[in-house]
Amino acid sequence: MAEHRTEGKITRDRFPLPDVTWPLTAGFWEGAAHDELRLPVCDGCGRFRWYPKETCGRCDAEPFTWTATSGRGTLYSWVVATHAFLPQFADLVPYVPALVALEEDPSVRIPTRMVDVDPAALTFDMPVTVTFRPISFAGIDGAVPAPMFVPA
Amino acid sequence: MARQRIADPSEWGAATEFDDIGGEVAICGVGDSDMSKASGRTTREIVGQAVERALADAGLEPTDIDGLMYVGMPEQFDGAAFHEYFGTHHDLWESRRGGGMTMAASAPYYAAEALRDGRATYVLNTFGVAWATQRGEMTGGPGQAHAQDLFKQNLEIPFGWFPQPVYFATIARRHLHEFGTTEEQLGAIAVACRRHANANPAAVMHTKPLSLEQYLASPKFVEPFRKEDCCLISDGGGAYIMTTPDRALDRPKAPVTVAGVGLGNSFSGTHWAQQPAFMSTPAVFSAPVAYGMAGVGPADIDLFTCYDPFTIVTLMQIEDHGFCAKGDGGTFVAGDTLHFDVGTLPHNTHGGMLSHAYDLGISHVSEVVRQLRGEAVNQVADCEVGVYAGYTGPQGSTLILRRGT
Repeated sequence: MAEHRTEGKITRDRFPLPDVTWPLTAGFWEGAAHDELRLPVCDGCGRFRWYPKETCGRCDAEPFTWTATSGRGTLYSWVVATHAFLPQFADLVPYVPALVALEEDPSVRIPTRMVDVDPAALTFDMPVTVTFRPISFAGIDGAVPAPMFVPA
Repeated sequence: MARQRIADPSEWGAATEFDDIGGEVAICGVGDSDMSKASGRTTREIVGQAVERALADAGLEPTDIDGLMYVGMPEQFDGAAFHEYFGTHHDLWESRRGGGMTMAASAPYYAAEALRDGRATYVLNTFGVAWATQRGEMTGGPGQAHAQDLFKQNLEIPFGWFPQPVYFATIARRHLHEFGTTEEQLGAIAVACRRHANANPAAVMHTKPLSLEQYLASPKFVEPFRKEDCCLISDGGGAYIMTTPDRALDRPKAPVTVAGVGLGNSFSGTHWAQQPAFMSTPAVFSAPVAYGMAGVGPADIDLFTCYDPFTIVTLMQIEDHGFCAKGDGGTFVAGDTLHFDVGTLPHNTHGGMLSHAYDLGISHVSEVVRQLRGEAVNQVADCEVGVYAGYTGPQGSTLILRRGT
C-alpha cells in the first residue's frame, strides 16, 4: 500500500478541516459539495475501492470513478466523545464519531459523525441516512460541506 | 440485528513467510531504563541507561556488541548514538528491523540471519520513548503518527474519528455488542496488570492500587473506556541482547531461546475503520506460524505478555492466540485468570503498558526472559514457555521463548 504521509507536527493551517484538493479524496468532498455521498468505484471490476487507492486490490486496475451512492447504510459502531481529543474539537463536545456500513456493500465503512439525534437513542446496525452539514472549527477560516448521518 | 460475519482470514491479511529459526537465537541479557512520567530525559539517554543494564546483565562490554537493531524513528539508538554514548568506534552490523511494538517480537528473526552467517555475535535490540516529556509538542500526543496519515487527515479526523482511544473504543463497543463482553471483563485485565505493578518497584503505578470496584467507579472518558483501560504515557525504554545458544551458555545468566516467531500483516494497515475482521488483530496470522515453529500450542504457554495500549487490544490478542474462541475473550479473562499466582494464563506480570510503563513492548520481552530464568518479581511457578505478542494495527507478531537452549 502506498504511503501517503506528512512528517512531524501537523502545520497545515486549516487542519483539521480536510484538504479538499488532495487528489485521492477530492472526489469525496466534491460530491459532498453537491449533496452526494460519492465513493470510488473501480473501473476494472466494479467494486467499491475504499479507501481510495491508486490500484485496485482485487483486479489491479488503476482507474476509478467517483460514483453517487444511495446515501443509506447501517450504524456499525460509534462513540460519544465527551472529551476533545484535539483542541479544535472543544466546542463540539459531545460529538459522535461513527462508522456507517454502506447499504450497497456493508464492507465499505464510512467515517462520519452522527447528528440531530440523542446519542442514547442510537443502536447498533440501525438504518441511517446521509445528511450534508458543514464541518467547521472555531478560529479556522471556512467550512467544508460533509456527509454526516441521521437515523433513517 | 444484523451480525457482521467474521471475515475469511485470506481476505484481510497474511503472515510474512518465515524460515524455521527455532532454537537458533538466544537472549543473554535484558535491561530496562528507569520508567517515569515526564522526566526531561532524551530518548537516547533513556535507551543508553537500558543498554548499560543489559550489558551488565549479560556480563558484556560495549565493545562486545557488534550488531545493533532499532526502529527507523527519530532519536533511536543507532550506531552513531551507540558510539557517542559509549565512546566506542568499532564496526557494527546495523538493522532497522528492530525496536519495540511488533519488532520487539520479530527482531530475533532478522538477527538469526546475521548470527548464522557470522556478521554479528552479540546483537542488541533497543527501543525507547520520551513521549511524556514531548507530549505537548505532538499533534494529538501519541496520536501524531496517525495525524500524519493523509487518508486520516482527509477522511477521518475532520469528523472526529481520532485518535487511538476513539479507534479502540469504537472496536470495543462493537465487541461488547456482538459478543456480550462486559466492562467488568475489561476491568479484570486492568486489575490484573495493576496488581502485578503494585508488587513491581520498577512500575510507574507501583504505589497505586486498583480494585474492580475502583475501576467501575472511575468515570468513562470515551465509553466504554475509563482511564484505567488505557496505557500509561510515560518515558522509558528497554534493551535485550541476542546471541547463539552456545555463546549464551557462557554468559552469567541462564539462557532463554527463541522457540518460534511469526509476523502477521493486515491489508488495511492502520485504517481500522476498513479492517474486515474489525474485532481481530493480525495475531490471527502470526500466532500459527510461531506455534508451528515452536512445536507448541496455547495449552503449553505458561505466560502471555502482549502489547497493551487498551484493555480491548489485550482481549483480542488473547482470542487471536487461540486461548479461547473469538468472542469468548471476556469470559476468559474474567476473575483471576490473568493473575501470576492463581491464574490459568499469567499475563503482563510486570504490569504491562497499562501499569508498568509506556515502552511499547520492549520491556515485555525483558519480563518474559526474567520469568523464564526464575528471577521475576511476580514469579510464575514452573515457567518454561512464554510469549510476547506485539501489535501496531497493520502488524501483529508472536514471539515464543523457552527456558534453556
